Amino acid sequence: MYEEPYRWIEAVANRRQYLDDQFTQGNPLVGVSFAQGILLLTFNRGTEKIYEVYDRIALGGMGHPADLEKLRYTVLDMAHVEGFQRSPADVTASRLMKNGLAPVIKQAFEEIFKAPYIAKILLAEVGTTQDHDHLFTINYDGMFEEQREFGLLAASPSIRGLLTQEWKNHSPLSSLQSAVEGSLRLWGIASLLQASTSSLDTEEEGTTPSSPPSTIPDDEAIAARIRETLSKETLECVLLDRDSGKMETYRALNHTELQPFIPAMYQPSISS
Amino acid sequence: MGQQGDFLQVLREQGYAVDDLRPTFNGSGPSGHTEITAGTTVFAMKYRDGVLVAGDRRATAGNVVMYDRTDKVLELDRFSVLAIAGVPATAFEMARILEHSFKYYRRSQLQDLSFEGKLRALATLLKNNAPAALAGTGTVAPIFAGYDQLEGCGKIFFYDILGAEFEAVEYAVSGSGSSTIRGILFYMNRWGTGPIAGLNEEEALAFVLRLMTSAAEFDSATGGVDAQAQLYPIVKRISAEGVRTIPAERLKLLFSEKVLNHV
Repeated sequence: MYEEPYRWIEAVANRRQYLDDQFTQGNPLVGVSFAQGILLLTFNRGTEKIYEVYDRIALGGMGHPADLEKLRYTVLDMAHVEGFQRSPADVTASRLMKNGLAPVIKQAFEEIFKAPYIAKILLAEVGTTQDHDHLFTINYDGMFEEQREFGLLAASPSIRGLLTQEWKNHSPLSSLQSAVEGSLRLWGIASLLQASTSSLDTEEEGTTPSSPPSTIPDDEAIAARIRETLSKETLECVLLDRDSGKMETYRALNHTELQPFIPAMYQPSISS
Repeated sequence: MGQQGDFLQVLREQGYAVDDLRPTFNGSGPSGHTEITAGTTVFAMKYRDGVLVAGDRRATAGNVVMYDRTDKVLELDRFSVLAIAGVPATAFEMARILEHSFKYYRRSQLQDLSFEGKLRALATLLKNNAPAALAGTGTVAPIFAGYDQLEGCGKIFFYDILGAEFEAVEYAVSGSGSSTIRGILFYMNRWGTGPIAGLNEEEALAFVLRLMTSAAEFDSATGGVDAQAQLYPIVKRISAEGVRTIPAERLKLLFSEKVLNHV
């Protein structure tokens, strides 16, 4: 039934709608480059979403855990074989994304008789200086983008546009503390915007295209969102430490380490 | 298979000859008269604060000294070290495979490979390498030393060229200079001032330098200490904090105080 081009296009469009729906309940993931390295931040409900890939590279994911695992192995295998047969210096996020992930994800998306990957992935590579940091994001259809300072995984592309704007207005992050604070805020905004788009979708039952969110929520709403999530879910935070002094830069920040970096306005009150 | 954290399997799938590390000859290559690079002294011993692993720095081919700055004590990860004796080409390749295998396992399985698992990985490589070992073109008899985090202690293992694994209670030696120092280690451990395992770091390091100097005295393939050229053995210390290299300055000081002159 998909031999005709029209049918095929329709099938792909259906597939997009199906996939978009899958991500509305997912947790956004933020990656920022700053003086000390790259910080990746998200929340999880039990399954980790940020992983070490290679000496200077980390992977963050959004979507179905089984699909993320499969894609994580694709990247891990490629990185380690390359690092072994050539040199660790030849393992780059750019090549892992362009030659490793993108073709696999795109092919799965377009083969409409098979299941697509329900996954969006961010690859971060920390450089020796901030100019050499790279952040790549890839969508479920295999479309990837490169950013230098800021990367985001979220349910809808319109959220990304708004947040990129917000990021540009933001003062540069100087310390780990400011990076955690800044990323938390960005996460809060993305999470709120994502919730508002998905509620719009359900109200209108998809009969008319939902209007994309156009404004950044106010600070109190953001703080409330973060407070609520901190009390229910686990904050997951990884630093690719430029100054680690070792080949390996990946370091997961544990709860005790993170606690002092979370501003009082975001802390869930103990009494309530 | 990659999903079980097996890097060797990943390499096999890529067509890498991980099960046969022999250099490939097309039948017409040189044979018989080729001098294989070999000959060395490496050893590991337990002392009060952990394990010390040492290796001289000379690489030889027959009577020829090829290189005097070889590093034969290789860190595989934060907690384990491989001291290599035998054909360097094969030995370095094994170390590289192991280093990547441990990394791959940790990153894919999200947990460190156990100490036993690391030992198995090395034994497998040696077993697969048996044909090359017997042919003499890929003989490797390494020492594996590391900190077992499950049991909370340092451990030393040594291997024959076919991959048989032995745990050393106090010390292990390998390489062409090992017969000299094996006797000294045995003697000192039994009739010296006390068991080697009771030495403090200062005493243990001086002992290491004396052993290496003794090995070099009787084995031309062992570099020993060349204070004039500022060449000291590579010595690494393994403890609960991980692997740490003893700086050459410290060895230099100890050498001039405790080795060069009779005390």
